[in-house]
Amino acid sequence: MKTLSVFVLALLFAGCMQIPKDAFVVTPELLKQREIETRRYDGISEEDLLIASSNALQDLGFNLDNSETKLGVLTASKQRDATNRGEIAVLVLFALLGGQTSGAISKDQTIRVSLVVRPVLDSNGKPMEKSEFVRVTFQRIVRRMDNSTYSETLLNEKLFEDFFERISKSVFIEAQKI
Amino acid sequence: MNRTFPAILIFSSVLSGCVNTINQRVLDIGDETQLQKRSYQSRIFDTGDKERVLRATISTLQDLGFVIDRADLVLGSVSGTKLQGHQIKITVSVRPKGDDRMLVRANAQFNVTPVEDPVQYQNFFTSLEKSLFLSAHAGE
Repeated sequence: MKTLSVFVLALLFAGCMQIPKDAFVVTPELLKQREIETRRYDGISEEDLLIASSNALQDLGFNLDNSETKLGVLTASKQRDATNRGEIAVLVLFALLGGQTSGAISKDQTIRVSLVVRPVLDSNGKPMEKSEFVRVTFQRIVRRMDNSTYSETLLNEKLFEDFFERISKSVFIEAQKI
Repeated sequence: MNRTFPAILIFSSVLSGCVNTINQRVLDIGDETQLQKRSYQSRIFDTGDKERVLRATISTLQDLGFVIDRADLVLGSVSGTKLQGHQIKITVSVRPKGDDRMLVRANAQFNVTPVEDPVQYQNFFTSLEKSLFLSAHAGE
């Protein structure tokens, strides 16, 4: 019954919430995020870079959902456990102190990634031979114990550094054909 | 108590018209005509290069914080989702209009409601113009 109320309430809010005014405006923060999400790779063709990227995604346990190699697009996802000890510890402590626990512990999550390869343009706006940008974006949808969900776009800079390192390694392995 | 609360919630949500899940909204005919909707959701760009427009669309969506769901060069379509506490889904289609022009059409939804504010689409096309280095014309 409680779950139903939560669900109906969520629907009620979802229906009445207004779309943000700047939903389709590129803000300076978004441009900064673009830098974090993009890396340039030289000396590799778009096709080889896409293959290396899809291998790197597989290394990380992602399953490929969709691809359009002619546009340099790959999308992939994975489902994983989302329980974390910190959250549980806080709740246990809260319960021990006599508080009513809400059951709002993260249970599992779907992580989605889209990876887009596009050629670097020279000063005349022409695509350069064997110079490519890779831009990657991540989202996750977390389901809690009470089946409510929350979703977010991942913006952590370290995550992107680690990810691009994987791609670099994968590119190296491709180049060496090991 | 335990049954009345949800009942009141459901009742009030129906009255307020915010929740449309009870209705079947397959054809979703609003107050606008099909033509009105098309006109604010579409723009024409002076280029015959479909791939260029599609790649610019993908870049623009990524700039706006969308994760690309799927893309298809033959169909000329790109879909993306933005999750930030709320959900925005958008589909953009690009199709040739003659030999040297491209018609770009976008339609978006915010959570469970269609985006029907022309300003939102105008903002999207302004962002796309910058990425394409071309200006958009109204048309169709």
